[in-house]
Amino acid sequence: MIRYRNVHKAFDYPVLRGVDLRIETGELFALFGPSGTGKSVLLKTTIGLITPDRGDVELDGVSVFFGGKKALADVRCKVGYVFQNAALFDSFNVYDNVCMGIPEAELKALPRVEVARRVWRALELVNLDPSQVMGKIPSELSGGMRKRVGIGRAIVGRPEVLLWDEPTTGLDPINTAAIEQLISRLSDELKVTSLVVTHDIDGGLAISDRVAMLDQGTLRFCGTPDEFRASEDQKVQAFIDRAAAEAALATGSQL
Amino acid sequence: MSTFTPTVARDPGPLTRWFAGAGRRASVTVEHAGGLGSLFWKIVVATVRLRVNFRDVVEQFFIMGIQSVPIVLVTGSLAGIVTSQQGGYQMTSAMPNYILGSLVVQTVVLEMGPVLTAIVLVGRVGARITAELGTMVVSEQIDAYQSLGRDPVELLAAPRVIAGVIVLPLLVAIADAVGIFAGMLAANLTVGLGNEAFLYGARLFWHSWDLLYSLTKALVFGLAIPLISVHMGLRTKGGAEGVGLTTTQAVMFMTLTILILDAMFPPLMLN
Ligand SMILES: Nc1ncnc2c1ncn2[C@@H]1O[C@H](COP(=O)(O)OP(=O)(O)O)[C@@H](O)[C@H]1O
Ligand SMILES: [Mg+2]
Repeated sequence: MIRYRNVHKAFDYPVLRGVDLRIETGELFALFGPSGTGKSVLLKTTIGLITPDRGDVELDGVSVFFGGKKALADVRCKVGYVFQNAALFDSFNVYDNVCMGIPEAELKALPRVEVARRVWRALELVNLDPSQVMGKIPSELSGGMRKRVGIGRAIVGRPEVLLWDEPTTGLDPINTAAIEQLISRLSDELKVTSLVVTHDIDGGLAISDRVAMLDQGTLRFCGTPDEFRASEDQKVQAFIDRAAAEAALATGSQL
Repeated sequence: MSTFTPTVARDPGPLTRWFAGAGRRASVTVEHAGGLGSLFWKIVVATVRLRVNFRDVVEQFFIMGIQSVPIVLVTGSLAGIVTSQQGGYQMTSAMPNYILGSLVVQTVVLEMGPVLTAIVLVGRVGARITAELGTMVVSEQIDAYQSLGRDPVELLAAPRVIAGVIVLPLLVAIADAVGIFAGMLAANLTVGLGNEAFLYGARLFWHSWDLLYSLTKALVFGLAIPLISVHMGLRTKGGAEGVGLTTTQAVMFMTLTILILDAMFPPLMLN
């Protein structure tokens, strides 16, 4: 269970203004919101990459910010994070990048073959051909491939919780579908708790148990996909309409 | 609902402005000092707990050290030649000319060798580290290390600082040696001072701790350059523009620090 309690964060101006949210264990939760409203900031607070000015985040009852170093290390070990722009290590090849996703202690204990097997499997899961990409460095990959390697790195450590920052933005429709399928499969089969920030409203609504919309630093909406679609809230409706228009435009431009 | 109320700021007057500016600069200085201190401490802890990968240190040693040897040879010999020529001009007939040997050796070993080598390394090594780490910050690679439970201080900062502390004394020793040699040749060519006389003069005023002094300076500079460049790199904000800005600031910061530390050495060590 992830629990955000009254999370505030300001940079030059207030970004998060009191976010309260509770995501149950095993739940697949989608977070929508316009660009620049602090979705990435909220995700980063979950594993202590950004410290809130006020409030706290708890993971399975353990405070991320007041639990001390050990608690934070445990949280980071349990959580896999998919960065918006992949954030691959430029100087490592794909194999070493994905390897870094395995917790340090485990990496030392596991036999080499087992590590290789897990890396291989992770790359297959994100629809990449391991034998093709393993030796390449990130600058030799396309944006979409980098993104998928980043996902592979986040899942190879078998996390209990996955935080996805726009995992399908910039992917072609086939890979978008593959990643969405992967997200639901991880949640169904392995009971991974997932929090997915996405601009793909249809995809998000289709796979998630509950959704929320972040707007101007607070949660504007939180509920089931059906409630979201039926919401009378003007902001929510405007957001759905705009996203639909953008999606239509995107499909149009692809034809 | 938030409303924006425009406020007309009253000009606080030049004196208040000056104090506000000075206060801001002072607080920035304190902030940097604190950041550098805590970074240094974390690196010490990581090193003592053997959390630093030996291979990373070797790699950094190679990048900083071996690849800097050519430029250090050039600056070292130029330092010797310039001092020798300059000293040659200022010699009067009342002075025994072997004094030039002492002048060149002392200037090269105590000042020119360490300072010029350090300044060269600010550009060659310091700027590179800041830009490299800054790029890693803005592309979220530092966040990625942390999200994977790895410590950027252990993986990135410590190898660079350890390598710097080892590399700079070695490079300064090289610079000192070629500086003396080049100075001796130049003395021979410009004022016709023979090598024996040059070395006689050099020995006459040589203290055994001169070399120690030179290498201590090198050690301090070798700590300051990577420490400041890592510190600045990790503070980078914004995109590519931010990387450019911090790199420039880091170069200024390192250069000034080298010169200030250099000025603090004589009162601290020569007494
Ligand atoms: N580390 C940071 N330093 C300063 N400002 C930041 C930082 N991270 C995010 N911001 C600002 O916070 C706001 C929200 O950013 P973000 O969470 O990335 O938005 P999004 O909802 O599109 O993911 C943006 O205006 C951004 O400039
Ligand atoms: Mg974002």
